[in-house]
Amino acid sequence: MRAFAGAALSAILVLPAAAQTRPDQVKFREIYKELVETNTTLSSGSCTLAAQRMGARLKAAGFPDRDLHYFAVPENPKEGGLVAIYPGSDPQAKAVLMLAHVDVVEARREDWTRDPFTLIEQGGFFYGRGTADMKGQAAIWVDMLIRFKQEKYVPRRTLKLALTCGEETSDAFNGAKWLAQNRRPLIDAGIALNEGGGGRLDPSGKRLLLTIQAGEKHFQNYRLEVTNIGGHSSRPTPNNAIYRLAQGLTRISAYQFPVTTNEATRAFFAAMGPQVGGKMGAAMTAFAKNSTDAQAAATLATDPSHNAILRTTCVATLLEAGHANNALPQRARANINCRIFPGTSVEQVRLKLAQLVADPQVKVTTLEKRNDVAKPPPLTPEVMGPIKAAAAKIWPGVPVAPVMLAGATDATFLNPVGIPTYGITGIFGEQDGNGAHGLNERIRVRSLYEGRDFLTEVVKTYANQP
Amino acid sequence: MNSMRIVMGAAMAAMLTFPALAQNPRPDQARYRDIFKELVETDTTLSSGSCTLAAEKMAARLRSAGYPESDLHLIVTPANPKEGSLVAVLPGSDTRAKPVLLLAHLDVVEAKREDWSRDPFTFIEEDGYFYGRGTADDKAQTAIWVDMLMRFKREGFKPRRTLKMALTCGEEGAPFNGARYLMTEHRALIDAEFAINEGGWGRIDEKGRRIYLGINAGEKTPVNYRLEVTNAGGHSMRPVKDNAIYRLSAALLKIGAHDFPVQTTDASLGFFAKMGPELGGEIGAAMTAFAKNPKDMQAAAVIATDPAYNAMLRTTCVATLLDAGHANNALPQRAAANVNCRIFPGGGIEQVAATLSELIGDADVKVTAAKGRNAGGAAPPLTEAVMKPIVAAAARRWPDVPVVPMLEIGATDASYLTPAGITTYGFTGIFFEPDGSRLHGLNERVRVDAVYDGRDLITEVVRDYIK
Repeated sequence: MRAFAGAALSAILVLPAAAQTRPDQVKFREIYKELVETNTTLSSGSCTLAAQRMGARLKAAGFPDRDLHYFAVPENPKEGGLVAIYPGSDPQAKAVLMLAHVDVVEARREDWTRDPFTLIEQGGFFYGRGTADMKGQAAIWVDMLIRFKQEKYVPRRTLKLALTCGEETSDAFNGAKWLAQNRRPLIDAGIALNEGGGGRLDPSGKRLLLTIQAGEKHFQNYRLEVTNIGGHSSRPTPNNAIYRLAQGLTRISAYQFPVTTNEATRAFFAAMGPQVGGKMGAAMTAFAKNSTDAQAAATLATDPSHNAILRTTCVATLLEAGHANNALPQRARANINCRIFPGTSVEQVRLKLAQLVADPQVKVTTLEKRNDVAKPPPLTPEVMGPIKAAAAKIWPGVPVAPVMLAGATDATFLNPVGIPTYGITGIFGEQDGNGAHGLNERIRVRSLYEGRDFLTEVVKTYANQP
Repeated sequence: MNSMRIVMGAAMAAMLTFPALAQNPRPDQARYRDIFKELVETDTTLSSGSCTLAAEKMAARLRSAGYPESDLHLIVTPANPKEGSLVAVLPGSDTRAKPVLLLAHLDVVEAKREDWSRDPFTFIEEDGYFYGRGTADDKAQTAIWVDMLMRFKREGFKPRRTLKMALTCGEEGAPFNGARYLMTEHRALIDAEFAINEGGWGRIDEKGRRIYLGINAGEKTPVNYRLEVTNAGGHSMRPVKDNAIYRLSAALLKIGAHDFPVQTTDASLGFFAKMGPELGGEIGAAMTAFAKNPKDMQAAAVIATDPAYNAMLRTTCVATLLDAGHANNALPQRAAANVNCRIFPGGGIEQVAATLSELIGDADVKVTAAKGRNAGGAAPPLTEAVMKPIVAAAARRWPDVPVVPMLEIGATDASYLTPAGITTYGFTGIFFEPDGSRLHGLNERVRVDAVYDGRDLITEVVRDYIK
């Protein structure tokens, strides 16, 4: 998952005209293609297969078997992963962990314009499920280790790669969580680089801002459920489970949680304001200075991406009701997916939802909590320095800012066990969020290739740190 | 029958007490019982049974009674080898007189042995009841038709009008419906002036008193409409205003708040006229007033407070299924609902679709009708020719029990026949107890005496029709 830029923004740099694909990019593209075309949905795919394919490539590049650690639990044989170790020269220096999940959100062929499991390059974009979230970065990590091995590069710090499964499904087996709880020494590191953060483009493709993610909103699902005695549909009764649920959902849809801020969001809006300009930019600047400026907040909220880091949000994502087309529904339920701003509790949000629904027959329950609320990792010079240097080299003039992520990543499993995890990608995304989790997911070809160059530079710098 | 039936609301005035349970069956009843037993013990569920086998067994009986092969038509399609039908013909002497069709369905609703007190596919007579799946719906009547045709043949009865019988499969909701198939592919074979089908049962109260004898004239047409909203979706961390689930919710609330206009048929007015005095009280008075003046909307509003009676007043539509979204962390790309409508006789499928679209008022909520039954048939008229033999036969047996016309709010195979030109009435002469004989439910049963009496009554009625 990724964070996204908002409304129309002022120009920073125009993307150059399409360049020839370099030979090293062609090799990378092969890995990327193989990953995208390996279905890793929970319903019908296999992360284990994807991990095996990536492991085979690393082995072919010279990784000994002892440095390739495949893992899977017996109950979830298709939800396995891989940890690869690239030993450094200094055993005292803490490792650098590169983290990526290889699973993807479900995608139905009939809903997409193109086959979601075929990598298609068209009009300067790669299309396919996972192209943006997050097989690009997963392929970058694999490709990077292969190149390092082929270059016989010896880093000071050990490099580790963890490819995991289950990030996209809150109740599925989560590989990052399992590693953090069961293979803590194997993945131990002084820093972990993960999805989250990234570059922001305006609609014309101009680069606006490079963000580094430190901290995220809390992911929580709630269930709305109505039960009823049902009956035969030839005799409708006034008390109907589906209508009660629809009424509750309509009330939730009309509500906005109060505006909330923290250091990262204020820093983000402060950095973005001047870049964005116009009414939206002015609102960002004003809001960064004074977070009680309701008018500025209202302007920010007109953009869904900005709104998402202004407040807790809740939205209905699933519906299920009834058991036969000719029977009155005995049960109607909805899933409400909330993204809770740090500082608000899970129970506070549940109570608010129940208050909004205002119908004792509509039960609001908290579904399984996937993790504890993670503290944001510190933004030290050791972390930020290499990022700023690489960015200045590749994209001079593009500001770098910290962000709080509106979504949730596997960082929520690593931060609590003492592995500071940052969202660092260098991949510039589209204003609409690249269709991540949605239809026709895509990523700008050049954004991916540039991100690869950026991450290679950043990882090498981290790897040479004491 | 495919659907539930009108359930009488309040307690009713006493009519006649049921006689003490019958003694040993008469010899002709014993022969009938044997056919009934064979039918019940032939599993005809969609999941594990065979209507074809049941049809073959009935054909063998008719053959043994003297029916030539030319008058027996076993109709089985290659795609549905176990869902066969049987059509039998007893030719009449007058080739210009239009035939009468006796219709029944062989198939039964699923029944799990572990859920039942007795084996659902063993015919058990106990304490005055026949127990087993299909005893009430619809094998008692099926056996009556077969038995009747055998008796007429053995008696050498030469009717003036040709008598036809069609035993079909798939009435209980299978994708393949035998009645529909016969209507479209073998129309000439089953063509008739009118048909007598299941439905229109009599009602006995808890004390065994007969309350009324029903005849179904017309039924509502069940049609499923799919409401669907599609959306580009996206990540749920970034909610947007335009949300497929919320649009669908708004649409459903509008449908839920809507009452279709009040309508009437001969049968519904006849029903309210007869039931008003029986029920008494506020709702009874409203029925009487409404039967006298169908424009009396105040009376209609009182009647509508009871869901069963409301269903006889108008087209109804209700949301029965919801399905939306593909992941708990993604904005829904698709939100869909099934809206089950019961269209009043004479109403059109497209007309109701247009009403739903208009109510919703959101062009992005697509409304489409599922393929299924025909609609648009007006309710069949309660003609003298149809009613007189029934009223006469009932009066001979039970002079104080009213014959009540009814509008079926569920659906039977009549919905395939009536709109296509074979006017179909629901009449069995069999009385059910207040539990509805547990149609579709557990431990389905029917009173032994009610079956034997119904058989006597309907045999007289049919004889009268074809004389």
